[in-house]
Amino acid sequence: MHKYVLKRLLLLIPVMLGVTFIVFGIMHLTPGSPARLKLGEKATPEQIAALEHEMGLDKPFIIQYGNFVKNGLKGDFGRSYLSNKPVFEEVLDRFPATLKLAVAAMTIAVVIGIPAGIISATKQYTLVDSVTMVLALIGVSMPVFWLGLMLILIFSVNLGWLPSSGASTWMHLILPSITLGLSSTAIITRMTRSSMLEVIRQDYIRTARAKGVPERKVINKHALRNALIPVVTVIGLQFGSLLGGAVLTESVFSWPGVGKLMIDSIKKQDIPVVMASIIFIAITFSIVNLAVDILYAFIDPRIKSQYQ
Amino acid sequence: MSNEFLSIEDLHIHYITQEGTVKAVNGIDLKLNKGETLGLVGETGAGKTTTALGILRLIPNPPGKIMDGKIILEGRNLLELSEEEMRKIRGKKVSMIFQDPMTSLNPVMTVGEQIAEVIEIHEDVNKEEAKEKAKEMLELVGISGGRAGDYPHQFSGGMKQRVVIAIALACSPELLIADEPTTALDVTIQAQVLDLMQGLKKEFNTAMILITHDLGVVAEACDKVAIIYAGEIVEYADIESLFASPKHPYTQGLFASIPSLDEDVERLNPIKGLMPEPTDLPSGCRFHPRCPYAEAKCSEMDPKSVEVGAEHRVKCLIYSGEVSGKGIENE
Ligand SMILES: Nc1ncnc2c1ncn2[C@@H]1O[C@H](COP(=O)(O)OP(=O)(O)O)[C@@H](O)[C@H]1O
Ligand SMILES: [Mg+2]
Repeated sequence: MHKYVLKRLLLLIPVMLGVTFIVFGIMHLTPGSPARLKLGEKATPEQIAALEHEMGLDKPFIIQYGNFVKNGLKGDFGRSYLSNKPVFEEVLDRFPATLKLAVAAMTIAVVIGIPAGIISATKQYTLVDSVTMVLALIGVSMPVFWLGLMLILIFSVNLGWLPSSGASTWMHLILPSITLGLSSTAIITRMTRSSMLEVIRQDYIRTARAKGVPERKVINKHALRNALIPVVTVIGLQFGSLLGGAVLTESVFSWPGVGKLMIDSIKKQDIPVVMASIIFIAITFSIVNLAVDILYAFIDPRIKSQYQ
Repeated sequence: MSNEFLSIEDLHIHYITQEGTVKAVNGIDLKLNKGETLGLVGETGAGKTTTALGILRLIPNPPGKIMDGKIILEGRNLLELSEEEMRKIRGKKVSMIFQDPMTSLNPVMTVGEQIAEVIEIHEDVNKEEAKEKAKEMLELVGISGGRAGDYPHQFSGGMKQRVVIAIALACSPELLIADEPTTALDVTIQAQVLDLMQGLKKEFNTAMILITHDLGVVAEACDKVAIIYAGEIVEYADIESLFASPKHPYTQGLFASIPSLDEDVERLNPIKGLMPEPTDLPSGCRFHPRCPYAEAKCSEMDPKSVEVGAEHRVKCLIYSGEVSGKGIENE
């Protein structure tokens, strides 16, 4: 198990190299010079050229990338063009807000999605099942920004119950976490249902019934633990992507998270911050994935023994 | 009352599917005394598993439904019990061993937990005692008690089936239904598992319904045999008279198909033709399209069960004198 975790952590290195290379390449290809951006409209071509030279931007792409990696290994990813703060400081400053929102959204999704999926599966083809499935379909197909705007319209503008932007109190958390959690809720509901339906057809469920296990326990003990195995993967993937900053939700609600930081930085062409956000997102996503895989081993003994 | 323990009367079970109604069990009558072993023999799709699940009321519903009949266990009709009363019978009075040991155990529970669970449900013991007893049961089926903490995937097929047997016997059931318990196992393991079951059955004085399509297994293990075809018992007899003089043309076909010792055949394919589609059963005698002695009448009349000896009944028009059955071997 330890060996496996170590191996997975080592695997992060090539993943990171790949991700940064691609992002670096894209940034390199986009028109506009960071030096001009930094100096403003009035700068002369000479000034720009001088600054480009100073920033190493006149060197070939590969050299630039090499320098980036070299500095990155020392923990130096550059400074924001705008605030002049080290970029990772910028990103980490925003992370708590993103984490809070992601946890709230996932809590909603898990607490509603799993029971809804179980009920839907055990009452297959009944009205309850159909209603749940229609709601879940609406949930996955509703565009996030639209949902966010609708919630603001209803609960902030019309009813005046909840704030529409900012993050100062827990009240501010409600609308964004519902907005962000809804599609995850729907996805988890559907996944739990289909996984549960698959599991309750299995022979070992019949064995449990033949032993005289009460039906409630057949579902909650024998079926659920098996059915949750694929659901945990989905939860992990959802959580991983929420942690990277929910760009749309954070923008709609002006939530000061990593997603909003990234969007603002792209708009202002603050390339070092964009790079840092993307690297950060890739790292969190990989770490959450690893955590899910480890968790897996605890749920499924067949996987655990593969590691030993 | 006699020592009659289980009596199934006119049992009908259908699966109602989009493709049509599968008439899986069509008027089965069976009787079983305490401690006796009844062999239920027939081709794949004959309705053996359905009958067995019917006794435990575990037919998947939908699509399955017990349409009619009685299943009387010690004077009580199981079909009239509440779900809760039925649950208390399952695993305690009546246990079942399923066909495929590879899929019958819960992959995320240790085998010890799975055995202990049935003991905890039905016996007045605490968790620790149940665990202890689970270990004893493992030892009884020839697995070291120290392996109680292992998961199913850590065992071979034959070992898994031993675990399933341990679960089934943990609460000393009075009736054990074994649905092709050895079919999925290697030939060498088959004999071991069968011996184990036989021994334990004697030890616990359990009655058993042994489902198989292997007449060799029947000869070795059973007191009585019921031959099932398209959801009907076409012949029922004690083992001696059946092996001495099989009456029904289908039974005779089964015997004719027993391979010589050095051949090994997985499935019975005794007689030309296939089992009829259970959604579209032939009229009259269900077997007539494949029967070498069939006459016109066989497609028109439903054969009734006729006594042809002490405890030997056959469902065939030849024996009720309706049809001549020219050429049939019948001493
Ligand atoms: N869940 C089910 N849904 C529909 N048809 C079924 C189902 N289970 C069994 N059947 C049908 O019922 C018939 C009897 O099946 P089964 O009792 O499993 O036979 P056996 O155990 O003798 O092989 C078969 O035609 C089979 O296809
Ligand atoms: Mg079967």
